[in-house]
Amino acid sequence: MQEIINIFIKSIFVDNMIFAYFLGMCSYLAVSKTVKTATGLGIAVIFVLVVTIPVNYLLENLILKKGALDWILGAEQAAEIDLSFLSFIMFIAVIASIVQLVEMIVEKFAPALYSQLGIFLPLIAVNCAILGGALFMQEREYTSIVEATSFALGSGIGWFLAIVGIAAIREKIKYSAVPAPLRGIGITFIATGIMGIAFMTFMGIKF
Amino acid sequence: MKSLEKLFDKLKPNFAKGGKYERWGSVFESFETFLFVPGHTTPRKGAHIRDAMDSKRLMIVVVLALMPALLFGMWNVGYQHYLSIGQDAGFMDNFIHGLIRVVPLIVVAYAAGLGTEFVFVYIKKKEIEEGFLVSGLLIPMIVPVDTPLWMVAVATIIAVIFGKEVFGGTGMNIVNPALLARAILFFAYPSKMSGDKIWVSGLDGGKTNGAGDYINTFGDKVVDVSSGATPLGQYASTIDLNTALQKATEAGDTETVTKLTADIAKTLSEVPSAWDSFIGTIPGSIGETSTAMILLGALILLFTGVANWRVMLSVVTGGALMGLIFNLIGANPYMNVPFYHHLIIGGFAFGAVFMATDPVTAAQTEKGKWIYGFLIGVIAVIVRVLNPAYPEGMMLAILLMNVFAPLIDHYVVRGNVKNRMKRIKVAA
Repeated sequence: MQEIINIFIKSIFVDNMIFAYFLGMCSYLAVSKTVKTATGLGIAVIFVLVVTIPVNYLLENLILKKGALDWILGAEQAAEIDLSFLSFIMFIAVIASIVQLVEMIVEKFAPALYSQLGIFLPLIAVNCAILGGALFMQEREYTSIVEATSFALGSGIGWFLAIVGIAAIREKIKYSAVPAPLRGIGITFIATGIMGIAFMTFMGIKF
Repeated sequence: MKSLEKLFDKLKPNFAKGGKYERWGSVFESFETFLFVPGHTTPRKGAHIRDAMDSKRLMIVVVLALMPALLFGMWNVGYQHYLSIGQDAGFMDNFIHGLIRVVPLIVVAYAAGLGTEFVFVYIKKKEIEEGFLVSGLLIPMIVPVDTPLWMVAVATIIAVIFGKEVFGGTGMNIVNPALLARAILFFAYPSKMSGDKIWVSGLDGGKTNGAGDYINTFGDKVVDVSSGATPLGQYASTIDLNTALQKATEAGDTETVTKLTADIAKTLSEVPSAWDSFIGTIPGSIGETSTAMILLGALILLFTGVANWRVMLSVVTGGALMGLIFNLIGANPYMNVPFYHHLIIGGFAFGAVFMATDPVTAAQTEKGKWIYGFLIGVIAVIVRVLNPAYPEGMMLAILLMNVFAPLIDHYVVRGNVKNRMKRIKVAA
């Protein structure tokens, strides 16, 4: 249990997708103009992560990993089969289909948000944070699906925190006398850097 | 002063519109208003509203409030220095040594910061803003006394440019520039910002001579090399000792267990008493050691209404509460540190009084201020106790909450809007 909480808190603060790995920057920069849309996209990312990572975890451990097919072929034969070269395409396929699902749900139940998010909703499919999450899951070799899910939830919440945080800052500095060349994306990059320094607070923390 | 004023008056036409140095007009004006009252004040007669608190006066009050801590800090720098070389110096000797060490830091911080501001004044063609008056004094007060001057200059310049000027200058920054400078120093030059040697004047950069004596940079023999550890450093070192102790206990290595238990007890017994920490005769950053003097500054700030009491109170509450929770858990020696001790060691008091209350970077709403301050206190103590890599959590906690203050405000405002909408509906 402690391990699960540890993974959860670590993936929010220490291994934050935005501030530690700079993953998912494109939608983070593009959809952070207001807190409202940022909240919508953040929740969508949390949802997609929480659904895709456990599914990908099962894929990884039941099909792709070396020796994972022993439940069909028996241990001896399966030991020779390593399908991990397929992991990229498999993960992406899972992510793309689930994003399609999210898109349909959002369009049905929150049409206003749907039109505000625009192209960035289908683009969650190629959001690096989502694929990054799946690949981190593979690389870190979580021992159970519960651990993988808690990692997914934590990463999603971390990404959510980052995007609503920057959105609030951008709303605040909307009327500041930012030098003309830096307005918009430029100042957002600088603010992100400062937020990154602030997030280093948690680096090395042990629970 | 009179002759200087005359000189300024004589030069003025050159910088006015159409004058010879029109381009430098804003820089000239900044210098003039820095030294003299501007010529365009409200007339004495007539029904004009005169602002009782303009930002210049606000800044001067903060600078005044910082004075007790700064002067005590200077004395303490000398006191710690003479203590480390085993000499018994008088009050004036201590103070003069501190003065010699601290004044260059202040001068460099002001020169680097104001220089950067003047460059921006020249580019933007706007009058200079007074914001740096406080930041320039805060920076030297939150660094260790042995910090090389060029590092202070580099960090100050980066902090002023990226923390303040790119956001539009004073009043528009999202993080406190002084704290950002400290954070940049901390992450860019970690070896000069933490450890046991940097907190006492002259100890860092010293050498061990042939006879095995440690000679400091002033050429004096250091009597007690370990005297430079801060209470925070001493507490933090118990974390590693405790982890080793647990391992040894599991392995059943009784010899190591006895040794490590003794080590932890020794370290804890060397931590200065609560009274010493309160008065401030302990090693630490220049301005942060004396809680008593900081409280004096806090009184000035609260009496004049410059700082917000909600923030101060909630930071202290958050820190104390988190300290109490750790006391209840009590899994390692650091968690057993009495909660009130957290409030008087390290930069906690200084941060609560002078950094967290910064009116620009703190949360703007009343309810937001409570949340903002409370979380600062909680995170500061969490980082101290749980993160052995960073002995001091106050700086980073404030920086983190600075970044999230706009979000807190946003939700508080949303909540208010929601409540009022409800009221309208009920009335209708």
